[in-house]
Amino acid sequence: MSTKETDNGVRVAVDVGGTFTDVFVLDADGHTHVAKTPSTPDPMDGVLKGVAAAGVDWKDVTLFSHGTTIATNALITRKFPRAAMVITEGFRDVIEIRRGNRDDLWDTYKEIAPPYIGRRDRLVVKERINYAGDVLTPVDEVQARAVANVIRKRGIKTVAVCFANSYANPDNENRMRDILLEELPDLRVTTSSEVHPEIFEHERFSTTVANAVLSPIIAPYTEGLARELADRGYAGDVLLLHSGGGVMTAKMAEKFAARLAASGIAAGAIASREIASRCGFENSIGFDMGGTSTDVSLADRGELRITTEWYVEYGYPICFPSIEVLTIGAGGGSIAWIDDAGSLRNGPQSAGANPGPACYGSGSGLATNCDANLVLGRIGTQLVGGAMTLDVAAAEAAVVAIGGPLGLNAEDAALAIIQVANANMADAVRLISIRRGYDPRDFALVSFGGAGPLHGVALAKELAIPTVIVPPHPGVTSALGCLLVDVQHDITKMYLKSANEAEPAVVEEAFQELEASGRERLEHEGVTPEQMSFQRFIDMRYQGQWRAMSVRVGSSIVSMDEAIKEFHAEHGREHNYSREDAPVEIYRLSLRAIGTTPKPEMGRRAVIEGSTAEPFEYRNARYDELPDRVSTPVFNRDDLPPGFEIDGPVIIDQLDSTTVVPPGCRARVDEWMNIQITIEEV
Amino acid sequence: MANQETKAAYTLDPVTFEVLKNAFVNIVDQMAEQILRTCYSFVIYSRDFSSALCDPNGDTVMQGSGDIAAHVGTLHFTAKAVIDAFGDDINAGDVFVVNDPFAGGTHFNDTRVVRPIFYHGELLGFSQANGHWADVGGAVPGSFNIKALDHMGEGLRITPVRVWDKDRYLADVAHLIASNTRAPKDIIGDLQAQAEATRLAEREIQRLCDKYGVNIIRTAFSEVQDYVEQLTRARVKNLPDGEWETEDYIDQDPVLGEGLIPIKIRLKIEGDSIHYDLSGSHPTISTFLNAAFGGSFAAIVAGTKIQFPDLPLNSGFYRVVTLDWGPEGTVVNSVWPTPCAGFCSGPFEKIMNSVFELWASILPERAMACTFNLEYLLVGGRDKRIEGLPYFMWYDWMVGGWGGRNGKDGYGATGPVFGVQLGTQPFEGQERLAPVLTTGHELIQDSAGPGKWRGGLGAEKGGTLYSAERAVVSYCCDRERSVTWGLWGGLPSIPHGVWVNRGLENERYLGSIFSGEPIFEGDVFTRPSAGGGGIGDPLLRSVDDVLEDVIDEYVSIARAKTDYGVVVRETDADLCEYEIDHEATQATRISIAQDREGWLDVDAESIAQKYRDRELNEMDLVRQYGVILDWGSGELLPKTTEQFRTMLRRRSFDFWRNGMPTGARA
Repeated sequence: MSTKETDNGVRVAVDVGGTFTDVFVLDADGHTHVAKTPSTPDPMDGVLKGVAAAGVDWKDVTLFSHGTTIATNALITRKFPRAAMVITEGFRDVIEIRRGNRDDLWDTYKEIAPPYIGRRDRLVVKERINYAGDVLTPVDEVQARAVANVIRKRGIKTVAVCFANSYANPDNENRMRDILLEELPDLRVTTSSEVHPEIFEHERFSTTVANAVLSPIIAPYTEGLARELADRGYAGDVLLLHSGGGVMTAKMAEKFAARLAASGIAAGAIASREIASRCGFENSIGFDMGGTSTDVSLADRGELRITTEWYVEYGYPICFPSIEVLTIGAGGGSIAWIDDAGSLRNGPQSAGANPGPACYGSGSGLATNCDANLVLGRIGTQLVGGAMTLDVAAAEAAVVAIGGPLGLNAEDAALAIIQVANANMADAVRLISIRRGYDPRDFALVSFGGAGPLHGVALAKELAIPTVIVPPHPGVTSALGCLLVDVQHDITKMYLKSANEAEPAVVEEAFQELEASGRERLEHEGVTPEQMSFQRFIDMRYQGQWRAMSVRVGSSIVSMDEAIKEFHAEHGREHNYSREDAPVEIYRLSLRAIGTTPKPEMGRRAVIEGSTAEPFEYRNARYDELPDRVSTPVFNRDDLPPGFEIDGPVIIDQLDSTTVVPPGCRARVDEWMNIQITIEEV
Repeated sequence: MANQETKAAYTLDPVTFEVLKNAFVNIVDQMAEQILRTCYSFVIYSRDFSSALCDPNGDTVMQGSGDIAAHVGTLHFTAKAVIDAFGDDINAGDVFVVNDPFAGGTHFNDTRVVRPIFYHGELLGFSQANGHWADVGGAVPGSFNIKALDHMGEGLRITPVRVWDKDRYLADVAHLIASNTRAPKDIIGDLQAQAEATRLAEREIQRLCDKYGVNIIRTAFSEVQDYVEQLTRARVKNLPDGEWETEDYIDQDPVLGEGLIPIKIRLKIEGDSIHYDLSGSHPTISTFLNAAFGGSFAAIVAGTKIQFPDLPLNSGFYRVVTLDWGPEGTVVNSVWPTPCAGFCSGPFEKIMNSVFELWASILPERAMACTFNLEYLLVGGRDKRIEGLPYFMWYDWMVGGWGGRNGKDGYGATGPVFGVQLGTQPFEGQERLAPVLTTGHELIQDSAGPGKWRGGLGAEKGGTLYSAERAVVSYCCDRERSVTWGLWGGLPSIPHGVWVNRGLENERYLGSIFSGEPIFEGDVFTRPSAGGGGIGDPLLRSVDDVLEDVIDEYVSIARAKTDYGVVVRETDADLCEYEIDHEATQATRISIAQDREGWLDVDAESIAQKYRDRELNEMDLVRQYGVILDWGSGELLPKTTEQFRTMLRRRSFDFWRNGMPTGARA
């Protein structure tokens, strides 16, 4: 990883999403600026255009970091080159059999997605390794070469090699890979023992297959991007944000392509954690509400929650550790409707950009959250700095159509729509917070995305969260997440043993082996030894339980007691009880290898207490807290200096969002230009 | 139930109502998540559990959205059983346990932990966590004893019993329960996990009471039920009135000799109500494939719910969907002390698939043919790999093919209708825990029931026993004779049944229901899961779809011709190149259409002989000739064959002659 020693250049982060490409620039002097451009069919174009729109010269850039949905989109649209899979004879269909589950239990007309590699391209070879790693049958060389020949004839360029029990011994998979490369030197070969050396065939194979199909897409993209940027004068590495919340270099991305599958989702969570942390909140909930969906994440004591259960399509897990983000189908465009029993519902269907909410003047007549907010006066009739005018009459008509059967007038119906939407989102946040034993009163809610600041305070009140933070650029916050992360690799090893019987020295040795491979990966990326650090985790469970919990442990293991104690405590917090007398079992060891990137100071503005600003207009808006509309000052966010403080009700408009501060709340602009809203009654 | 249309309007405002309804869903799903993360029973971990909130009468307010199908419609019975048993002596901090199938439970393994929810001294309702404990004692590990004469041979019957008394844990009672099982520590672990899940629900309800007031919550408990009732009635009202009937079969009662065991089911839609009737079903049989009233009602509810997948489940639904079980003492209404641990493989599966068939006439857009039968195989003995020869259990259930649908092929290799989350266990985990080397886990070519839209494919899984002693194998399944059937002229799939050393000198066929058969080191056992039945005449399937299936080796070239009348030639398999002989295909299809009705009249014994001579295989027998044998010996089962042929004629002839029914997709 090459960054200039004396780092005083420009740092650029680009988050390429499905609709928009967000650019976040941090100058040498700590100033930030942002740009938002429509995403382009060729994501590389999007990066270049976005950075150009931000007015940055690549020659000045010292660090470029990039979140991308290219891998996610390839999996969603299934646009990837034909790939093959080589499997142990007898197990051709493991990835098609899956675990055999469906995500919708009752709707027998909802399809199960087919595997990423079809049956015709799944080829078998005789070989077998047992649970202990003994080779029962070596690779049948004749059959292996015949398989290579079929792959050649079909013109397939990427292959996943997935053998039984390879987590216990990779020899047969390695032999198969060597034979394939002897026969077809240009082939991309991904082995399951390298990508995800863990027990359970479907999860390992599925991760490997995702990696194999993405590798031919990611490799040329990262190579091409690196070349383009070099041509423009950028001398550093292209850093790619991966689902674990760190970055990796293009070289590693090519090898572990599937680690990018949740890249886009991770960025927002990381940004949220950073923003809260700078404001002094080590516990925070990220609430990123867009047009069609909302992403919720949680940081506890500065750490984002990690999950290894992640997928793009149900049934095909990608088991790399990923930041846990709960996505729900509720957004500004979610549609309100009345069901057959006359009950008011909200979402998950969304009007999207097309046809769009009723107020977009599209004639859709769909009553969305956006329409309800407009009817209530919480958003103005001018969007995006006047580029779009909203049609209040159309919004009212749509909302009245919903309220009519319930006996509600337009305003009460709008209020009802928003309250149902907020309650649904609060339920989702509860799942990731209270449900896990976290007390929301200890948290700050970071509210971003286009619609987040509109709903954030209501949600916080519902959840008894005392503080809401609205970052300076709510609509491009995710890109910031790409900027402030380290190089990170997550490496795991199965280690099934009773915690009492585990020899600390043996566990220590296993961790040292993991550290050696972590060090190797970081060195490969040019990380210097001084920049390296390692974090250790042990996954444990009560003997007899099926799920394990990850517990952080110190940097050298001399006794297992501390880890066991921590496990009881975590179990108690998350599940409300622990069994101190029950035996504990170790399931897995994991290591996070980190290559620290130099972090610049964000520009901190001088706070002048008692700063003032003038509203640009007054609007009659309706709040949940008051029975009637009240005249509300509306400010332009750009006019608000650090140190400015005001009591609600107040509305703050900006290009990419609107912040609503209801009555009974106080807003303050802090030194980072966040709006911090304190909810008094909590 | 009279005149529901004029029922009083809701008293809660629309926002409060919607918010609380969603909060109740959220609470039962939080219970599920907690159980999944803390359970000990691997059966619970495989999603064999359910959660509910009940009102003070025990009626269900909300049931978990991810609950296993086999438990739906039974949680109110067990809540009521607790109320009946304890009456006024129900206090805050109490927790009760019940698993009694004769009090509305399903089978002994499904153990329900019930906690009253109090708010400032007032009983508001109950939270209930139901989970399948891996073992509840009885004569055999896993508590599935097919030879049980009565329930005493199956496991521990827990009538409603108190295990926490005003927050005081009654360790002696818990100990008594746990000590009657094979894994007492795990049982205590599961009991605690379930009790904590119910406590979570209690806390959440109390939080809602704090926020909204207890009266609002009490009202919401009742109005959420009214809501589901009203929603369901609104749907049913739009359906035509009428009566429909069908029957399906359990394979046999070994004591009675060969012959299928009929389960009869009638459905009546009248106005906005749905009524089922199971009268006329066969008396209780000698194996444990009997259901008590809870298990049968669960099948009725689950089958009907599939027709209305978006409706939430609670007692409001059961006001619309009613059932007459018929007289006591039948396979669908068995009473104490009839063994009924196998209700899930027996009547439950038959009733649920029959419900699909009945509704195919009413809502053809959701039609589905028969799905493979729930099955599980247990190999147990002593593990010689480990010092001290500890017990091992290789306890395995399979996923299989679902029935073809109107306009779509069936799901391949998917969990049973019993509970679609009951997925496969990874063999890599099993190989660590038991001295069994998995021989394969793969889809079975040609296992899908042929049809215009074929069923999904079944799979095969088996293993070789090594380093073991004193090992036995047991199996609970069905449909080796009452083979997974097709609809609208679609064909059956393949029979279930376990083979040992198949194709080898010492081959043994063990059938689809047996227990305690000895098995030795070096023995290779295997069994298929059936594919789903096909829907619609297979001769109407598009030749291109057949070709694609041949390329993926879902269908063999030989059976493309036999089952679909499509003649395919291989050009270059390496390049996936095959071609259709259109002329030969047309001729073959005409000839099959002319002859196939007659094949069901061919002398069955001559067909059995051809099977024994290996000229015909079991697919030819069940699909083309409707002949059912003892698949091991090749001996003809004449009565079963006659019943099976009658069934095939009933499900096929009209559609072979007249094509697809009204409402079928092109």
